[in-house]
Amino acid sequence: MNCARLRQVLDAHLDGELDHATGEEIERHAGSCAACAAFRAERNALRERVRAQAPYYRAPAALKRSVGQSLAAASEPAAVKPRPTWLQAALLAAVAALISATAGYWIGRPLPDGSLSEQVVASHVASLAGAGRLTEVGSTDRHAVKPWFQGKVDFTPVVRDLSGEGYILLGARLDHVADRQATAVVYRVRNHIINLFAWRAVQPGDEPTALARARGFNIAAWSEGGLRFAAVSDVDAPDLARFAELVRQSP
Amino acid sequence: MGDAAKLGRFERTVLAHLDAAYNLARWLTRDDAGAEDAVQEACLRAFRFFEGQQGSSPKAWFMAVVRNACLDWIREHRRRAVEEEYDDALHGAGTGDPPDASAIRASDARWLHECMATLPQEYREVLVLRELEELSYKEISAIVDVPLGTVMSRLARGRDLLQQRLLRSLKRVNS
Repeated sequence: MNCARLRQVLDAHLDGELDHATGEEIERHAGSCAACAAFRAERNALRERVRAQAPYYRAPAALKRSVGQSLAAASEPAAVKPRPTWLQAALLAAVAALISATAGYWIGRPLPDGSLSEQVVASHVASLAGAGRLTEVGSTDRHAVKPWFQGKVDFTPVVRDLSGEGYILLGARLDHVADRQATAVVYRVRNHIINLFAWRAVQPGDEPTALARARGFNIAAWSEGGLRFAAVSDVDAPDLARFAELVRQSP
Repeated sequence: MGDAAKLGRFERTVLAHLDAAYNLARWLTRDDAGAEDAVQEACLRAFRFFEGQQGSSPKAWFMAVVRNACLDWIREHRRRAVEEEYDDALHGAGTGDPPDASAIRASDARWLHECMATLPQEYREVLVLRELEELSYKEISAIVDVPLGTVMSRLARGRDLLQQRLLRSLKRVNS
């Protein structure tokens, strides 16, 4: 064993992939060579750092659901029907919301404006449907995002820098909630996307934050300054409530 | 095999590794939506070719399907990403700093993430499979479809590169 050879095989040794005899040769050489001992210590530290600090991305709940659905469809005997796309799913949700609203019946009626939760969830899901749909202006700088809305909508949406709290601004886009034009400001917390929708309120007056849940997503909605706001995400309800609280605080 | 039985067996042997699949896909595509698209596509492909195809390690077989779906996604959506990977010279010349290098440096973990995420794909994937999934060289060689010796040399070279990047950026920030 010499220094050059050790550098070639040390990783395999630390990974437990080498035979015992070669492992002993490596240890013997490192025991008498300060440079190789230092190299081994460096490598061990790197391995520990990667394992401790590199993010491990777990499959989002929405992905687990959609995989389950498409496999169920694929395993049906007469699997001729195409699996629904995200857009179709969103349209279905919108239709369901419309029917429910017409029938005047909505289980739980979680928010004052009835089918609102289904409508914002449909817009949220549609925004996640493919690469590039989430933001039209992508920036973590609120001074770049806010002016982007000028001349596009007749109100000024709230854009906050909440990165210190773990909510990272990703950008914004124009969107619709049901048939109303809305702004959507996009944040990320850990691996969860939050869409913060805003549109002109129908009812005057401020409303406190109400929490609701629809199709596995959490919603926080409130009214302030003539605007209606709804934050939608698959993040935990307490984290979304905290987000709403931070957005509502004066800058 | 009945369809319901097939689905059940698929869920137990393959879908049990959905987190691992998403983790690899997210590191490869470097994009949330791209990783979801690739994993979704990989699950359908794997289900189609499920019977009698997994060999000795269903996880390694599924991860190979996921990796192929990711490579397809990258080819389709992110030609730019492939070009960036061959831009190592640029990084070496000191002009390839991310715009907010100092902010990223503020957090050790985020800096490590940045250095790992910008490694060329051939090194990034073996590091993720080894350090985060703790797969054996044999399994990695089956997933990446290269000989064992290549897995060994890519891991060694990948760790060299990662170490150099971590140190180099530290020096640059300090100077």
